[in-house]
Amino acid sequence: MIKNAPYHEAVRDYEPLAERPLPPAAGLREDLLHRYHPDYRPDCFTKLTVGPNAGDPCHRRLAGILQSDSRIDEADLAASPEEEADVLVIGGGGAGCSAALEASRAGARVILATKLRLGDSNTVMAEGGIQASIDKDDTPQMHYEDTVKGAHGQLDRGLAAQMVMDGPDVIRWLIQQGMQFDLDEYGDLLTRRAGGTSAPRVLYFRDYTGLEMMRVLREAVFNGDVEVRDYCPAVELLSDQSGHCAGAVLSSLKNYKYSLVKARSVIIATGGIGRLHLNGFPTSNHFGAVGDGLVLAYRLGARLRDLDTFQYHPSGLAYPPHLAGTLITEGLRSAGAYLLNAAGERFIDELKERDQIAAAIIRECAEGRGIDAGHGQCGVWLDTPSVERRRPGVIERRFPKLLHLGTKCGIDPREQPMLIYPTLHYQNGGVVINKRGASSVPGLYCVGEVCGGVHGRNRLMGNALLEIISFGRRAGAAAAKRAHGFARTPKKIAMEHLSAFRRELMLAKMPLDRTSPLLFPEYAKFDNDSDYDGLRRNARVDG
Amino acid sequence: MEDPVLNRVLLQPACRVGADYDAWIWGVGGSGLEAALKDPGAVIGLVKEADLRGLGGSGFPTWIKWRAVAQHGGEKYLICNGNEDEPGTFKDRVLMEDCPHQLIEGATITALACGINRVVFYINPHLSAAIDTLRRALRQWQASDWPEQIAREAGLEIDYRVHSSSGHYIGGEETAAIESVEGKFPFPRAKPPYPSDHGVHGRPTLINNVETLSHVPHLLRNGVDWFRNQGLGEATGTKIYSLSGDILKPGVYELPMGTPLSDLVYRYGEGMLVGKKLKAIFTGGPSNTILTPADIDVPMDFESVAARRSALGTGAMIAVSQGTGIVKKVAEYVSFFAVSSCGQCPSCKTGTYYMAQLLNRIGTGQGTGADLDALYNLCKILPGSGRCQLVNGAVKVLESSLYHFRDEYEQSVRKLAV
Repeated sequence: MIKNAPYHEAVRDYEPLAERPLPPAAGLREDLLHRYHPDYRPDCFTKLTVGPNAGDPCHRRLAGILQSDSRIDEADLAASPEEEADVLVIGGGGAGCSAALEASRAGARVILATKLRLGDSNTVMAEGGIQASIDKDDTPQMHYEDTVKGAHGQLDRGLAAQMVMDGPDVIRWLIQQGMQFDLDEYGDLLTRRAGGTSAPRVLYFRDYTGLEMMRVLREAVFNGDVEVRDYCPAVELLSDQSGHCAGAVLSSLKNYKYSLVKARSVIIATGGIGRLHLNGFPTSNHFGAVGDGLVLAYRLGARLRDLDTFQYHPSGLAYPPHLAGTLITEGLRSAGAYLLNAAGERFIDELKERDQIAAAIIRECAEGRGIDAGHGQCGVWLDTPSVERRRPGVIERRFPKLLHLGTKCGIDPREQPMLIYPTLHYQNGGVVINKRGASSVPGLYCVGEVCGGVHGRNRLMGNALLEIISFGRRAGAAAAKRAHGFARTPKKIAMEHLSAFRRELMLAKMPLDRTSPLLFPEYAKFDNDSDYDGLRRNARVDG
Repeated sequence: MEDPVLNRVLLQPACRVGADYDAWIWGVGGSGLEAALKDPGAVIGLVKEADLRGLGGSGFPTWIKWRAVAQHGGEKYLICNGNEDEPGTFKDRVLMEDCPHQLIEGATITALACGINRVVFYINPHLSAAIDTLRRALRQWQASDWPEQIAREAGLEIDYRVHSSSGHYIGGEETAAIESVEGKFPFPRAKPPYPSDHGVHGRPTLINNVETLSHVPHLLRNGVDWFRNQGLGEATGTKIYSLSGDILKPGVYELPMGTPLSDLVYRYGEGMLVGKKLKAIFTGGPSNTILTPADIDVPMDFESVAARRSALGTGAMIAVSQGTGIVKKVAEYVSFFAVSSCGQCPSCKTGTYYMAQLLNRIGTGQGTGADLDALYNLCKILPGSGRCQLVNGAVKVLESSLYHFRDEYEQSVRKLAV
């Protein structure tokens, strides 16, 4: 059995150094990924048997929820109130807010429904920053090439090209909304390098860029004409007689009642699936990230892609155990923090793509060079003191959130390294969209992490924040335009697509006792923790 | 294993050849027309003996219409009604797309029997594939020897035409179809005069459904006894049922007239989706009423279904499971009638709209007891107040649901009071 060094011994043996040499690279990049990256473990994957992606590989856990029956039936909607909107946005993160803002500013009547509160999302977890080629030595072309290389070439090049071209304008728009970025002494935007990029291109605000972004978006939404429904997850989409998307069924978590929102366009911005804890990994994702949007879109007939690839962020906290999975920003590695094994040696270039670094960390631990934190958790050092040694005061100035996290852990990151292990961070695949964010089902738009194709099989740091604003704004505008183009309301709005999907499930002899979307992780317990009847009862349905 | 009764006549493989004249003639085609040509005068008698009914929903004996038209001389019209647009009905589309020659031969025999010289195929423009197939089949037909032979032996030169209807649901009504063929908006006319006396351009006009006409070649070819034996019990012939809803295998099934409903739902449709129980069956179309699980044994012919407070109509069966809310479903159907009303008759225009409004109110939890009472009153006063059957259809489905599922309406109303 492979034994890693116990945590306390490793802490004792650690000595802070400003500089450490990088040993020569061993082995090929592909070899490292194939042997150690969780995406390459064949036993985790299966083939989908029903729906538009039948035959495609998919993670077993995700396949289970995609191929499940609906939580509701038409009878559950008896006497449920109905309302109409031009655009319904599902999801209250950065993508949802920017789409709602843009649709509302284009004159559409917008309702934004969110499972928890506005801003309860992975956007606020984004620490590193947002990529945009604004430096004088940088070009969108270089940004594009880095994105393609990071994605192993398996991305939708049109989407990536549009996103990088949008970059500078996205930053301008965010600044107009009131977002702050870190500036140099002359007031110019500061940039730093992301892993796998050829130029410093990441703009940031301290180490809570996403939180700052969400702050301004949230205020803009509250101050605008968007109607916000919080604690109202969508549990099913509505379809019209042609199978086009025509709204959604919301379930109020406050009083456990359903309501129907009939909308000309629906924008799904529900984010990813980290809370499914694929392959037993901890996750950096927020509480509601259980893949609701994928399920809803798939059942309505939207095509998905790359369902077998997920991003494991290299630096998730591994010690103390109750904070396992908490994200530590890639910005630290950009700023020069090393990754060290138990022997205090570097083992990979810290600015490589995320999938390779994650695989390298897993390799170190699997081969006994890691540090054992107990409870079956191991990890490697993120050498924060080395940054502090080289540039004293930088952590306090640039990484206040890290210091705060350190306080919670009882560790001073300026003196002691943090123990990290890859954490399930991002869903690379998702709904297939075009440049306007439209899915393969007319009337259904998808933006943000729920979509696939923009990042291929591996995302670069800072591209997610860029994506949500770039595509969020475009989808919002397109959805509003579609709503204005309607001459009259559809003849019939119902859930006919459910019958078709159930038929497929039965004919494929799939189990019929599972229901989705999950809404909350399996371990969610609201019985004692919530005043909201709906939350308690929804959790019970999940069993 | 091949099913001994499924798809044996109209939808048999030899008929489903599409626009391929040679395949049709090589199979079953031509012999019916040959038999009719020998003695055109006897055809109406055969149809009467065979008890062929109007299969577009009315169940009206076909021979009565034919005789009425045959009495007149001069220019006469036959409209083959393919304006199929009811919820849950999709049989004519299959007949036109897969068996166009069967329909053309049926129409030709009918024209021959009644001395009709103008045949119009009146088709819903939404069924563009059917229009295309029929046009191609007609060209093949006109290039064949038949038109010449008919002219020579019966002295009748038949002019065929494909007319794409306006696509409105109301255009399927007999007199509305006449208006449409005349090139106007399909407003139903007041009756009498009946189309058989005063139809297209004032000339006698026969209107039959596609399925009715498609039966005629087989009846002539195989004889009356054969036709009567196709049905079960008192019923004659076969019927195409359109099965839809929460069914594992929805689709069109041609079965002997009088086949029990349970056979259709459980044997051919293979039962309900995801193991839910059957709640109700809407018999689609203008005669849209509800059959409950207690009626699952009913033989599906015109008389037996009518005895259960329902109607066979076009043979559409929309099965809904326990997971369906009846109020919303009925609201959906009544809304369909409301938007389909042509607006000529005030009672229909406002009545269907008002019913739809009330149902939507109740269905979304906004309704009160007074709304429910208003619905009951409308069911009493509206029937028969329009020129055509549209308003009656809307009332029928509502009345039937109120009769069977009153408790569900009351629950929806009560929810507001709590």
